[in-house]
Amino acid sequence: MTLVPGIEKVLIANRGEIVVRVASTLRRLEIASAAIVHPEEADSPAARAVDETCPIDGETPVAAYLDAERIVEIALRIGADAVHPGYGFLSENADFAEAVERAGIRWIGPTPASIRLMGDKIESRRFVANLGYPLTPSANEEDAPSDFAERAQAIGFPLLIKPSAGGGGKGMQIVRAEDELAPAIELARSEAERYFKDGRIFAERYIDEPRHIEVQILADTHGHVLHLGERDCSIQRRFQKLIEETPAPGMERELRDRICAQAVGIARAAGYQSAGTVEFILTPKGEFYFLEMNTRLQVEHPITEMVTGIDLVEEQIRIAAGEVLSFVQEEIRFEGAAIECRICAEDPDHDFRPAVGPLLLVRPADGLGVRFDSGIEAGQTVSTAFDPMLAKVIVHGRDRNEAIRRARDALERTVILGCVTNCDFLGRILAHPEFKAGSVDTGFIPTHAADLARPSMSLEERAALLAVAALSNRDFLERVEAVPEPYASIGAWQN
Amino acid sequence: MGYDFELQDRMSVVHPAHGKKNFTLAIDGRLFDARLVPTQNDGEFVLEFEGNRETVFVATRGDVHFVHFRGRAHRVEAINALERAQRAAAPSGGAETLCAPMPGVVVEVLVEEGDEVEAGQRLMTLESMKLQTPIVAPHDARVAELCLQAGSSFDQGAVLVRLEARDEAEGEAE
Repeated sequence: MTLVPGIEKVLIANRGEIVVRVASTLRRLEIASAAIVHPEEADSPAARAVDETCPIDGETPVAAYLDAERIVEIALRIGADAVHPGYGFLSENADFAEAVERAGIRWIGPTPASIRLMGDKIESRRFVANLGYPLTPSANEEDAPSDFAERAQAIGFPLLIKPSAGGGGKGMQIVRAEDELAPAIELARSEAERYFKDGRIFAERYIDEPRHIEVQILADTHGHVLHLGERDCSIQRRFQKLIEETPAPGMERELRDRICAQAVGIARAAGYQSAGTVEFILTPKGEFYFLEMNTRLQVEHPITEMVTGIDLVEEQIRIAAGEVLSFVQEEIRFEGAAIECRICAEDPDHDFRPAVGPLLLVRPADGLGVRFDSGIEAGQTVSTAFDPMLAKVIVHGRDRNEAIRRARDALERTVILGCVTNCDFLGRILAHPEFKAGSVDTGFIPTHAADLARPSMSLEERAALLAVAALSNRDFLERVEAVPEPYASIGAWQN
Repeated sequence: MGYDFELQDRMSVVHPAHGKKNFTLAIDGRLFDARLVPTQNDGEFVLEFEGNRETVFVATRGDVHFVHFRGRAHRVEAINALERAQRAAAPSGGAETLCAPMPGVVVEVLVEEGDEVEAGQRLMTLESMKLQTPIVAPHDARVAELCLQAGSSFDQGAVLVRLEARDEAEGEAE
């Protein structure tokens, strides 16, 4: 008997850090854990974090983790009671959720109907608009394809063309003038087709430099819907979140209450169950608009866990088991501030080009209020086969200033060698006076690009680094050793 | 007998400081006293530099040294003399092999074998980690061989396109 009656074994249908994360909660709940593992990752922290690994292959590593049919077969074969989809891959695939349930296995997530309703951008916008909540002005191509361009233009510039089935910023085009509209529609349609095999697109008003605010929802199968506060995810690059924090800096209580209430209203109306996130954009004037709902656990969920002390994965599992939420809204305490920084394999000093290479040394930061969620270790090779995110540094402080200090310190103490990362760049953002002042919006990185550029190095620092390299270089040391006595005594420092 | 190292897109020369009492290295002509002492932890060293002792982390792959120093990771590459000579002598305007700067997928191929291309002309588009990178002709040339098709995936260093000199090829054709 585990700590969650009815759930003895869970298959995690994902890879990397989220497998490690989910497995740690399963272990605490005394539930057996299993994960699908591509051969390339047979020897990885994710593979070792679970009690049982199930090999899965595919034409590409990504294809393996998207093979819904095989995953259901595996879940049945190993006798899993439930499937946790993590984030990405099949986590928002209603057909997969349905196939899991049809096989008599519990789906740790919302119902397939909720995923269909809220996971589709056009459908969910229509649904939210019908509830009477404000949305940015928009136009759908499929309503009347022939005059889509005119209707898009009527929204006014700047506007955004987006794939309906999209996510993660893929295929989005900003249009600032009329003559850019036709080519942007063409490009968005082809990218939507390529990325999502679904060419449907829509246009919406583009709000320059808004804040990205999202609300964490928990809903059980007995009609209880709660929020766990908001997260500010405004620090983004090319629509990819880099730094998230909670509470949103400088947000008035009254505005926070209204946004959270609206998120709860939307989730309740959608009959939502499990953990989910309602995303909004907040304009500089304090107006907010529904953006989309993520019907799964988010990458940035740990900051909410830090300030509330609630394990979101445990709640997901208990909800899937049919339990009633064990707390009510008023019992949720929000303590201090938390920040998450996403460490990615990319080179911020060379136009953020993707970085690859074997990880030679990995030493996570630790300490009071620091959590390091990752699925990497020395010996692994970073390739372009998967997402570039390597690890998340999550910190908790009594207030925002303390959280910022801890995050900077933790980033400086995180050692990842062998592959270039954005670790130092994240530290530069945290150190920026405007960030410290809480003055954040989605344009932060381009706006402050000059300030965020690599700082110059002192001559002394440069010399020290060159000395370290020379004293670590075999050829250099051999050359020194080849020198006859008395100079060869220099070899003493060759270790 | 200097050794060249590249750090932050700039080169420096490091010499062993033979016969100089209390100095071990000459870096860009300045003398320094430096020792790198291992600790019991993998990759962790104590750098004794100009009278200070600081912890550094070092990991080496061939001639590339990754160094974590004062809270930041750096990449220092040793450039040996032979390689430098080859770089300097690389043909310009003639035959050349273009290789993949990083692993990824070919999104589109914009030229055909035998096409004459001009310096800066886009030959193909690659995609790695959601980022598109154009591959352009470094100089006027003729496309001798296209080694990958749209949709193919490749590793870092894979040969993408072989170019040949335009004049030679024209001479042969005529």
